[in-house]
Amino acid sequence: MFYSPVRTNASEAEKNEKLHLFKYVEDPQQKNVETFESRNGYSAWKKVLSSMSAEQVIEEVKSSGLRGRGGAGFPTGLKWSFVPKDSPKARYLCCNADESEPGTCKDRVIMERDPHAIIEGMAIASYAIGCHLMFIYIRGEFGECIRSMERAAQEARDRGHLGKNIYGSGYDLDIIVHSGGGAYICGEERALLNSLEGERGMSRIRPPFPAIEGLYACPTIVNNVESLATVPHIINRGASWYSSMGTEKSSGTKVFSLSGHVNNPGNYEVELGFSLKKLIFDPAYGGGMKDGKQLKGVIPGGASTPFLTPDMIDVNLDYESLASVGSMLGSGAVIVFNEDTCIVWTILKLIHFFRHESCGKCTPCREGTGWLEQVVRRIEMGQGEQGDIEKIEDVCGNIFGRTICPLGDAAVMPIQSAIKHWRDEWQYHIDHGSCKVKSEFSFQ
Amino acid sequence: MQGKVGVFVSIGIVMAEQVKKEQAVSGVPMVTATIDGREVTVPKGTTVLEAAREMGIHIPTFCWHPKLKSVGACRMCYVEIERMPKLQVSCATEVMEGMVIQTASEQVLQGRKAVIEFILLNHPLDCPTCDKGGECDLQNHTFAHAVDDSRYSFKKARYTDGTDGTTFDDKRLGPEIVLNRNRCILCYKCVRANKEAFGEYDLGVYERGNIAEINSAPGHEVDNPFSGNLVEICPVGALTNSDWRYKIRVWLTQTTSSICNMTSSGSNILFYKEKNHNKIYRVTSRMNDSIDDGWLPDVSRYGYQIATTEERLKTPLIKKDGKQVEATWDEAMTVIHNRFTEIAEKKGKVCLGGLASPYLDNDSLHSFNKLFRTVFKSNNIDFRSDYRMLPEGADSPYEMLVDQPFTIADIDDSDLIISFGSDLIREHPNEYLRMRKAYNFKRAKVVSINPYAVKSADIAELEVIHSIGRAETVLNGICLAAMEMGLVNNQDLTGKIAPATTAEAASDAGVTEDDLKEVARAISSAKKISFICGEMVSRSIARDTIASALWNLYLLFGFKDKGQMAILPRYANSRGAGSLGLLPSPSDGLRNTLSGLWGCFPESDPNNTDAMLALMRKEEISGFFIIGANPLMLYPDRQFVTDGLERLDFLVACDLFETDTTELADVVLPLSSWAEYDGDYVNLEGKVQHARQAIKPLYQSKPAYEIITMVAEKFGAPLFESIEACRKEVDELLSMTHSTKFPSQFLEVKPCYEDAEEEYPTPLLICDDPHHCGHRTEKSQSLSNFVSEAYIEMSPEKAEKLAVKDGESVRVESPVGKIVVPVRISDCIDNNVVLIPRNFASTQVTSLLMRKRRLDRVKITKVDE
Repeated sequence: MFYSPVRTNASEAEKNEKLHLFKYVEDPQQKNVETFESRNGYSAWKKVLSSMSAEQVIEEVKSSGLRGRGGAGFPTGLKWSFVPKDSPKARYLCCNADESEPGTCKDRVIMERDPHAIIEGMAIASYAIGCHLMFIYIRGEFGECIRSMERAAQEARDRGHLGKNIYGSGYDLDIIVHSGGGAYICGEERALLNSLEGERGMSRIRPPFPAIEGLYACPTIVNNVESLATVPHIINRGASWYSSMGTEKSSGTKVFSLSGHVNNPGNYEVELGFSLKKLIFDPAYGGGMKDGKQLKGVIPGGASTPFLTPDMIDVNLDYESLASVGSMLGSGAVIVFNEDTCIVWTILKLIHFFRHESCGKCTPCREGTGWLEQVVRRIEMGQGEQGDIEKIEDVCGNIFGRTICPLGDAAVMPIQSAIKHWRDEWQYHIDHGSCKVKSEFSFQ
Repeated sequence: MQGKVGVFVSIGIVMAEQVKKEQAVSGVPMVTATIDGREVTVPKGTTVLEAAREMGIHIPTFCWHPKLKSVGACRMCYVEIERMPKLQVSCATEVMEGMVIQTASEQVLQGRKAVIEFILLNHPLDCPTCDKGGECDLQNHTFAHAVDDSRYSFKKARYTDGTDGTTFDDKRLGPEIVLNRNRCILCYKCVRANKEAFGEYDLGVYERGNIAEINSAPGHEVDNPFSGNLVEICPVGALTNSDWRYKIRVWLTQTTSSICNMTSSGSNILFYKEKNHNKIYRVTSRMNDSIDDGWLPDVSRYGYQIATTEERLKTPLIKKDGKQVEATWDEAMTVIHNRFTEIAEKKGKVCLGGLASPYLDNDSLHSFNKLFRTVFKSNNIDFRSDYRMLPEGADSPYEMLVDQPFTIADIDDSDLIISFGSDLIREHPNEYLRMRKAYNFKRAKVVSINPYAVKSADIAELEVIHSIGRAETVLNGICLAAMEMGLVNNQDLTGKIAPATTAEAASDAGVTEDDLKEVARAISSAKKISFICGEMVSRSIARDTIASALWNLYLLFGFKDKGQMAILPRYANSRGAGSLGLLPSPSDGLRNTLSGLWGCFPESDPNNTDAMLALMRKEEISGFFIIGANPLMLYPDRQFVTDGLERLDFLVACDLFETDTTELADVVLPLSSWAEYDGDYVNLEGKVQHARQAIKPLYQSKPAYEIITMVAEKFGAPLFESIEACRKEVDELLSMTHSTKFPSQFLEVKPCYEDAEEEYPTPLLICDDPHHCGHRTEKSQSLSNFVSEAYIEMSPEKAEKLAVKDGESVRVESPVGKIVVPVRISDCIDNNVVLIPRNFASTQVTSLLMRKRRLDRVKITKVDE
């Protein structure tokens, strides 16, 4: 029925008024503009154009407490307010749809199944910052998303939601759907802007921040798909409705992509502050560990966040709770590992990915990830040497916090936590040249 | 991608700061910070690195370059800033009020050491065979940070050249540049400079992560006219050039500060010579912010090889029985004295003439002037050997415009830069880079007005390509557009220029009315303008007409208060030659000073190059003294020059090597290059720069000054008591308060078009190849590695019409001559124009030219094999 048949909790959303992002994602008709319109679609966009000033929109989003859903969790409304009001330059909005954090597959579902929600959100954000040409940068591998967004963009133009003098308001807005070249780094906003300009996907130094000098050296706001798709609901139902959900500092709902050794991997929209344990074990969500195995660890926010051990999973899924146990909410990709998982093997997979995706611009990440991969591979192959663990820790320390963009941090944080939590397993690898965990590791 | 929870608040503060900064009104506020315990106050926007350097605190870097945007890639320049938990890169961190910065704390040193460790992981450490050894940033920083062992126990990643399985990687990127990817530390400085500063895309980065590599663009060579800089800025031995590699270790050389003899801006250079030996090994830049920004065009970098070439003239030559044979200086001087005296006695002294090269230094030019005016009592003297039919008199509109003040550094903060009739890359590479800089850093508006699409127009917001030979009409059109749109109040110009309306001017000049209006609007709204005119004005026979039109523009828009406009001189000391009065009829002021200095000034008729050549044909000039110049190769009518020179009774020619001109000479004297003696040169701004002697004169050559004074002594009339006396006179001349002249009112400009001829339909332009300058550089091995023979550059459409492919030969015919040259197809030329470089003696391109024509037109036909 769908190109990406990812399980969602849309049926719950039908009963639960609070869940808005996933309400219609199980309906194949939702991607058509007529269906979308019939479900109150584009009403927020009409409301904004007819009765709200840009400042009011920004204020509304600010007070809703919406935070960026791409990983960093920066308050969306605050970000918009950084665009200089009196700059003579053009302003751009860029939707970051380069969803490439391992484990994350939420934006993909929204783009494929509910593309107009994104366009509507982008339009409102554009209006808030005074942008007349918005971009959506879609991960190159997401062919169906690109097709879906292009079709939706054309429908929106045809129906007058985009174009010149929209709804007679005098506001012009158009969208460019751009396909990325398939690099993880291009999900980082400054590398994304470089890539969009036709340069190599390499992060830029900041300041200047994109809000001051971004795309083509003009003020630019880069927002995640999920953040933007949320915006119309905030406009329609009000900031206080949104901030009433979730916790004090993490308001609203969030989609979590659950994967790994669970019975029901899938995308689940829940209120922030939801229990991680419940997400994994509740039959309505993860449905517990697959094959009745024991839980070994969880990565709660995408491959670049530190591991949680079983004794730590009694934690709420919100920005501050996860930070308090030393991890991060990140992009909301919860990856679950069972007892048969070899941690060294897992880390080798991860560091191989980060080494391969390092753009090569700054020295610590470029050289360090390569070195780390070599050492971890040596340990995994049973040729580890005494002192390798300390060497890994030291190299990680020389990368962490010393790179231009967060890729360096992302690469070392899971390693550091894996060594912290399972040092004995690493040591066993080195001492015995083999793995403590007997069965073969495999991702689903 | 992940960010970090918890740090967003501090990012928010920094972002808010940014907003404030952007919104702040102009006028740069100052900020005070503490670096290593010392307070420093710097303009807001200064980076921590720059502030520290200013205080004499050295922060090591690899990827930072003072003239490029900071990218923070190498991470070597870490500093610790209070209240910031992470190490910060000082090259990209602006000093903020109250910052407390540590540049050498334990954490900083640890961070830097880690960076060096990372960089050395896969670095081959082949220092013993690396040309960069001794001047390598990596070597120095490793040494300074005492990184003495490696924790890396894996086999180093290697690129190999694939032939013998060794670790040797040697990839030739272009005619001069060789890349060793193993040594490369990926600072990306070369790629950034190439793109950012030079606008070239022939070098790039391929792959990513730790297998990323620098390489030439597929199918392209790195052969742009600034490519030598890439080698110089490489912090390690990854990029080397054939000029220098494997020849000598840098610690065996010593440097001499000098200036370049190829460009008229006088790039500052360093000569590297072997200690205790008389040999130059290379030239590098010597950053001078007011002139060259530390970039050297290749012609300045490799041009020194004209001095070191084996082809240098080694001894004086005297023609005996039609053959030039080696002789001593004494013999040569005796012959010169006898023959000149003979001619003077027979025909009078005014039948002697002289032509000097604008590459010579002030002392040489001044002594040459004095020799002719006081000893030979002649006003037959000039230094311009390549501009046809020059006007007489210092007050002509053209000469007044040549004499206008111009400051290179002012291009930087101009908000409008217009290049008019100038292919900047070929003529003024330093100014071209300045223009790019203003565009990159200050978003200056660039306008290019030329008869064909020059390459430098790639950054132009507006490119006006007009019909060739209609330059004055474009200028008139801009004035008319400004008046018609009411951008200027002054209407006095009406009636003085033709045609009378913008529309007519546009159609006459082959441009659109909108273009003219757009230029007018740009000029009238600009706050600071740099208006650069080049060779297409100075070489045109209609130079006075075009200059008049330029003056009208100048007066109409009030340039005096908002910018600079000048026809830039073309050679190393053109401006000096003019200021020293090396013209047949110098201005009254100069003439008075000169006659005051010398006690006399000849009254004979003044004759410039063209007039002298005409007089030679009439045998009214019979003895001629050429020093450094090569009119046969450069004067636009080879037959005319040959006729003249052949009819002379006696010709003395001095040059570095045999040239077309020296072949005709009765006495040939070996001249020393500028590297072989001390000399002063006046650059295009009027700035006097000193070039130090790097090596002793090679072979038996002598500096021009010595040759000239020897001749004078032979005539029993010593010119100066000493060289100091000469310099005193030069100083006096150069310090004369120079009153720039302006026309007091609008000038009449009646366009003088030349009709096209059916038989010769294609306009031909003669100019320098971007890798060459004048007649000398083809003797530089490195420069001829780039381009060693002439070509005819044409657009793809034109080539298609002629059914020729790149590299195939065509016959180029004009009413007076014909040559055969290979075709080079280029996107940077159009409008039916073709172009041939004049730098290659064997092509004899000047044989196609006629001296009384405004446009050179040719017929091009394919040569059938």
